[in-house]
Amino acid sequence: MDDWIEFARGPLFRIALTVCVLGIGFRIVTLVGQIAAAWRRAGDRRLPLGDLTAATASWLFPRRLWAKRPVYSSASFLFHIGLVVVPLFLAGHVALIAGGLPARWPILPEAVADGLTAISLVAILALIGGRLGSASSRALTRTGDLLILSLLFGLLLFGWWAANPAFSPFAARTMFLLHILLGNLMLVLAPITKIAHCAIYPLTRLVFQLGWHFPAATGRHVAQALSKEGEPV
Amino acid sequence: MAIECSYYLEDVDTTNLPERFLEALAAILSHSNYAMVLDTACRVSTRCGRCSTSCPVYQTSGDDRDIPCQRSELLLKVYRRYFTPLGNLGARFGRSFEIDEAHINTMAEEFYRCTACRRCTLECPMGIDHGLITHLGRWVLAEVGIIPKALVVATREQLEGATRNTSAIPKAALLDTCEFLEEDCADEIGLKIEFPIDREGTEFVFFPAVSDYLLEPDTLIGNAAVMAATSGSWTIGTSAYDGINYGLFYSDRMLDRIVSMEAEEVRRLGAKKILIGECGHASRSAKFFVRTFCGADDAPEVVNFMEYTHKAWKEGRLELKAGVIPERTTYHDPCNIARSGWIIDQPREILRHICTDYVDMTPKGRENYCCGGGGGTVSIDEIRPFRTLVGGAKKAEQIRSTGAELVVAPCANCKKQLREVCEDHGLDHVRVVGLHDLLIKAIVPPVEMVIVTGEAAVGAASGV
Repeated sequence: MDDWIEFARGPLFRIALTVCVLGIGFRIVTLVGQIAAAWRRAGDRRLPLGDLTAATASWLFPRRLWAKRPVYSSASFLFHIGLVVVPLFLAGHVALIAGGLPARWPILPEAVADGLTAISLVAILALIGGRLGSASSRALTRTGDLLILSLLFGLLLFGWWAANPAFSPFAARTMFLLHILLGNLMLVLAPITKIAHCAIYPLTRLVFQLGWHFPAATGRHVAQALSKEGEPV
Repeated sequence: MAIECSYYLEDVDTTNLPERFLEALAAILSHSNYAMVLDTACRVSTRCGRCSTSCPVYQTSGDDRDIPCQRSELLLKVYRRYFTPLGNLGARFGRSFEIDEAHINTMAEEFYRCTACRRCTLECPMGIDHGLITHLGRWVLAEVGIIPKALVVATREQLEGATRNTSAIPKAALLDTCEFLEEDCADEIGLKIEFPIDREGTEFVFFPAVSDYLLEPDTLIGNAAVMAATSGSWTIGTSAYDGINYGLFYSDRMLDRIVSMEAEEVRRLGAKKILIGECGHASRSAKFFVRTFCGADDAPEVVNFMEYTHKAWKEGRLELKAGVIPERTTYHDPCNIARSGWIIDQPREILRHICTDYVDMTPKGRENYCCGGGGGTVSIDEIRPFRTLVGGAKKAEQIRSTGAELVVAPCANCKKQLREVCEDHGLDHVRVVGLHDLLIKAIVPPVEMVIVTGEAAVGAASGV
């Protein structure tokens, strides 16, 4: 078991992290390239950058959680806190990321990390419940949405059991191994699933704003491509 | 509320419809920025449904078809399948979505159940603009011939008809109307106003929603009175005098051609700026797309009439009497000028000054509710029950709760829709008017505007 754990958090983790970093990097570079090309082609290049930045920043904080789908919105916010804070500031994760070097950022007390993880677990259950609880939400939900939530639930639950063996129905080392394997899987999946929003979120409002900034010749070029030049309305 | 939204089409060639739809989408993606938009939407869309909480149509209908992210998914599904490597790969393994006529028909209905008010963009945590995706979906449909008949017939007349405007008002009738309005204002109000025709070298060329010449004489008289009181330099051009632009609602190709007509008219007359009357979509289409299609920094500047009036008032060039409107008054924000934050406070400042009992609706400004007839749907008469009883239900509630007798709606489309909403929701005591309709009562006319003979002149001079 220990050999498997060492393999999972050694070479396998490094491969997964490399795939994640390169994949996410590729996503960002590609999107920035698309944005630059779209801006160059736009007939009107003035952009309300201040408004876009303010709107992007405002969604990083709780925003009218109780006014709009209160349970789902609150669960989503809490879920994200746990997902962002714990992976980066838990002592074990810090050691793994720092690769044995002294950590250069603060470490979260274990009790706080455990608490945040538990909150995230409850939040994921609420999110799944929210998605399956009404016919409308079910209609919007695709299998992939539930799969990602389930994988994240497993990742957090196995991690929490590994850290709190007294509450675990299974051997702590087994939970630890499953936690690492699922963590590696999520790293690999990040660039090719909606998890990629963790990296491209700051650019999305710019993308949609730029979408309204059409190239000056778009109509004429589309007409040519469809052989509709001179065709009556 | 189960009310359908079926509209008339002209004859649609259904031969190879799915293939032609894909061909049109491919052409548009190749020559626009929409590929980036769809690509990003596919990557970040979580389909959380929060957008549904902001959609006035869904809030009333409760119909899943009206959830904005569900509607966007109709087009994203096509994009994912036919325009991404994973979609193509999936198709090779035989388990994938295939576009067919039924799917296109679904899009044809759902993209026009939306009023394109873009309120949902305020509530998407990911910043997805479902209004933009609907806008694209409508364009692709248009390229295969699926366009509400009301919109395409009007656009055809505007771009290729004898009258060159959506209401088919001939030039002679336009001139007669302007003359009549001048006489009417002189006889009834005792004020001298003028609608200058084809005057060269002015600052502004005026483009109201052309339907104002038929339906909104008070708005036009108010516009001309403001110009007369401020000695504004303006003209109406007889080669193009319609600010309406249904291209905004169904085709970027048409949008381009219509704003280009406006810019060309400004150049023909040697003028400097485009002055748009009280119309939300006409203002937005000119403000944001004249620059796009007509030379960016070389394009004529676009000003909405309310901006002009507000600026003149603030600069002291226009004097307005305070408190001349005694009825309880509220203001409806047209989505096309308010959602971006462009025109929100200017009309309110004026209304607070001239009304004794002004009340705002809740919510308002950027977060306003659509009148229910946005996105060109107000012109589709056959869907009136859907427009007023579903799309306009939230607005009716808002109006009712203000207790207002006057609703100021500075937009030709909103006015038509709100009158129908009021009729269909039993708000018979409510009058829907434009801002300039009220201003005619508030303007303190300079001496040269006052006609000094007859009883009316006495009334005007004494402020009655």
